[in-house]
Amino acid sequence: MRSYFDEQLATLNNELTQMGAMCEEAISVASKALTTGNVKLTDQVLSLDGEINHMERKIETLCLKLLLQQQPVARDLRQISAALKMITDMERIGTQAADIAEIITFLDGRTGEECEYIRFMAEVAIQMVTESIDAFVKQDMVSADAAINRDDDVDDLFLQVKESLIRMIAEKPTDGGYALDLLMIAKYFERIGDHAVNIAEWVVFSMTGVHKGEN
Amino acid sequence: MTKKIFWSIMIAAGTVLAASLIVIMGCLYSYFSDVQGKQLEDELSLAVAAVERNGKEYLEKVQPGQYRLTWVAGNGEVLYDTLSHGESMENHGDRLEIREALLNRAGKSSRYSTTLLERTLYYAQRLEDGSVLRISVSGATVWVLVLGMIQPILIVLFIALILSGVLAGRISQHIMEPLNRLDLEKPLENDTYEEIAPLLNRINKQHKQIAMQVSELQKKSDEFAQITQGMMEGLVLLNEKNIIISINPAALKLFHADDSCKGKDFLTIERSHAVSRAIHDAFLKGHNEIRLERVGKEYQIHINRIESNGSLIGAVILAFDITEAACAERIRREFTANVSHELKTPLQSIMGSAELIENGLVKPEDMPRFVGHIRTEAERLVTLIEDIIRLSRLDEGSEMPFENVDLYEVAAEAAAELEDTAAAANVKVTVAGEKVNVKGVRQLLAETLYNLCDNAIKYNKDGGTVEVIVSRQEDHGVVTVKDSGIGISPEYQARVFERFYRVDKSRSKESGGTGLGLSIVKHAVQYMNGKIDLRSTPGEGTEIQISI
Repeated sequence: MRSYFDEQLATLNNELTQMGAMCEEAISVASKALTTGNVKLTDQVLSLDGEINHMERKIETLCLKLLLQQQPVARDLRQISAALKMITDMERIGTQAADIAEIITFLDGRTGEECEYIRFMAEVAIQMVTESIDAFVKQDMVSADAAINRDDDVDDLFLQVKESLIRMIAEKPTDGGYALDLLMIAKYFERIGDHAVNIAEWVVFSMTGVHKGEN
Repeated sequence: MTKKIFWSIMIAAGTVLAASLIVIMGCLYSYFSDVQGKQLEDELSLAVAAVERNGKEYLEKVQPGQYRLTWVAGNGEVLYDTLSHGESMENHGDRLEIREALLNRAGKSSRYSTTLLERTLYYAQRLEDGSVLRISVSGATVWVLVLGMIQPILIVLFIALILSGVLAGRISQHIMEPLNRLDLEKPLENDTYEEIAPLLNRINKQHKQIAMQVSELQKKSDEFAQITQGMMEGLVLLNEKNIIISINPAALKLFHADDSCKGKDFLTIERSHAVSRAIHDAFLKGHNEIRLERVGKEYQIHINRIESNGSLIGAVILAFDITEAACAERIRREFTANVSHELKTPLQSIMGSAELIENGLVKPEDMPRFVGHIRTEAERLVTLIEDIIRLSRLDEGSEMPFENVDLYEVAAEAAAELEDTAAAANVKVTVAGEKVNVKGVRQLLAETLYNLCDNAIKYNKDGGTVEVIVSRQEDHGVVTVKDSGIGISPEYQARVFERFYRVDKSRSKESGGTGLGLSIVKHAVQYMNGKIDLRSTPGEGTEIQISI
C-alpha cells in the first residue's frame, strides 16, 4: 500500500518537474521572441501555454485522488497541498508568458531595444523561475532563498523600465502605444517573478512545514 | 527453534504425566472398590450376627448413614429398610443379589437403583431363618474417595509441570546453543552436530560461488567504469522508469550534476521539455536523436531503447560534443557563400558595363573608362581565382621544393614591390634586421611577406608606418611585420585567418582585397612548419610575427 503511494508521489514529483520545465521554456521562448523580434516563436509559447494548462488539470486530478484515497498526513500532506498551490502559480506563469507573446505580435518586429531594462527583467525572471523549479527538483533551500531574494531586483528593474519608458514617451510621443506595450510586458515579467517567489515559498513549506509570513 | 523444542518437551512431559495419572486413578479406583467391598462384607456379617440375635430391634436402632440395610423375607417381601418403610417397597425376590444369597448364602451385585437413581453396590447374606439381609452403599462414595485425592494430585501435577517447563527451557537452550554459535562466514570451522554438516558444506560451497561471482561482477563493473570514465562522450543509463542507473563524468559535467543523482529520476538533472519528450519517444520508437545547446557548446544526443527478451528495461543516452563539427560546417557554408558572392560581384559589374556598351548607351569618349573598368574587374576575378587555386594547392599539400632562402632579401623585395601602393596610401615602409637563411619555399615566403605587407599598408592610417624586422631566434628565422594601423579587436583576432573573413565587411570593396590573403599566409606558414602569432590593439596597430 505504502509502496503504491510512494510511486504515486514520485509520479506527482515528475509531473510537477515537467510542468516547471514547460514554464521555464515558455518564458524563455517568449523573451527570445521579444529580443529577436521573431513573431513565429510566439506560436510556440501559445502551444506551451495550452500544454501547461492541460498539465495543471492532470496534476490537480492526481493530487485530489491522492488526498481522497490515501488520506496522507504530515510531510506527505504538505507535499501534496504544496503541489496544489504550486501548479496554480505555474499555470499563471504559462498564461503570462502567453500574454507576453500576444503583445509581441503587436510590436511589428520591434524588439524593445530602446529599453534594455526589459531584457534584464526577462533574464532575472527566467532565472527566478529556474531557481524555484531547481529548488523543488533538488529540494534545495539555497535555490529557494535565492529565488525569493531576487524578487527585489525585478521590482527595482520594473521601476527603471517605467522611468525609461516615461522618458521615451516624452521624447517621442508617437511611440506612446509601443511604450505602453513594453510596459505591459515588463509588468508581466514582474508578475512572473512574483509567481516564482510563491513557488519557492511553497517548496520551503513542503520541506519545513513553515510557510513564509506564518511564524 | 528453541520454542519448538521447548514445546515438544513440554507436550511429551504433559502427555506422559496425564497418561500416568489416568492409570493411577484407575488403579486407585479399583483398589478403593475392593476395600469398600471388603468393608461392606464385614459390615454385613456384623449386621447378620446382630439381626440373628436381636431381629428387627437392631435394625431399628441403626442410624441411617453411609450404609443402607434391607431385611428381605425368603419370599422377597421387604421386612425392614433403614431408609424407607419396608411395607411400601415392592417385592425384592427377583433382585440378583437376593436370589444369589438365597441360593448360595451370599450374593452381590451393582446396578443403577431405580429408587435412588445412582449406581449402587449391593451385598446380601442369607440368615439362618431363610430371610436375607442386604447392605448397600452408593457407588459415589468410591468417587468421593478418589476425588479426595485430587488436591494432592493437582499439586503434584503443578509442580511436575513447572519442573518440566524449567527443564525443557534449559534443555532446548542447551540444544540450540551450538547452532546459535555457528559462524556462517567460515562454515567448515564449526564444531557442531554432525547432522548439519551437509548443510554447512553446502553453505561453504555457495560462499565460494558467491565470492567468485561478486569478483567477476566487480571486474566487469570496473571495466565498464574504466571505459565510461575515460570517454569524452557523455553516457547515461536509465531504467524503464527513467531512473539514472549509471552516469559517466562527461555526462555529469554536461548536465551540471554530481554523483548523488544516481538512483534519481533523469528529470532532476535535465528537465528541458525537448529532452524529456525525446526520451519518451525513444522509449516508444527505439531510437531518437536531438541537438542540445549547453554553455556555448553544442551536443548531439542519441537515445537508444534497451530491450531484453522483448521487454523494455531502459535506455542509454549518449551525448557527443559536436561544437567543432558544427563550427567547421558553419565555416564551410560561409566559405561557399563567400566564394559565390566574391565571384559574382566583379562579374555583375562586368556584365553591367558590357550591357551599357552593347546598347550603345556609352558615349565614345567614355568608352575607354568603361573598357578599363571591365578589365580591372576581370583582373580582380583572375586574382581571386588564382588565390583560390593557390589555397587549394596548399590544402592538397602538393610538393613544392624547399631551398635556402634569405628572409631579409625576400622581405626587401616585397617592400620594393609595394613601394607604389605605399606611396599612394601615404605609408612609410621600412625593412630592418639581418640576413637570415631558412629552409623554405621561396615562392610561398615571397607571397606571405607580400600579403602581410600589403595588409599592413591597406589597413593603415594616413601617414602611418610599416616596420618589417627580420631576426633570428635560436634556430628559427623570424619576420615581424608591425604597422601603426587600425588594429583588430580581440573578438575578431581568431577569425581573420578564415577564408573570406573580413573584420569590416563594408570596406572590402574599397580596399580591393580578396579576403584570402591571411588565409594563404596561414596555410603557407603551416606548409613550411612555421608558426604565426598575432598581437593587435584596436586603434594602435597590429603586429604579426612568423617564425620559420
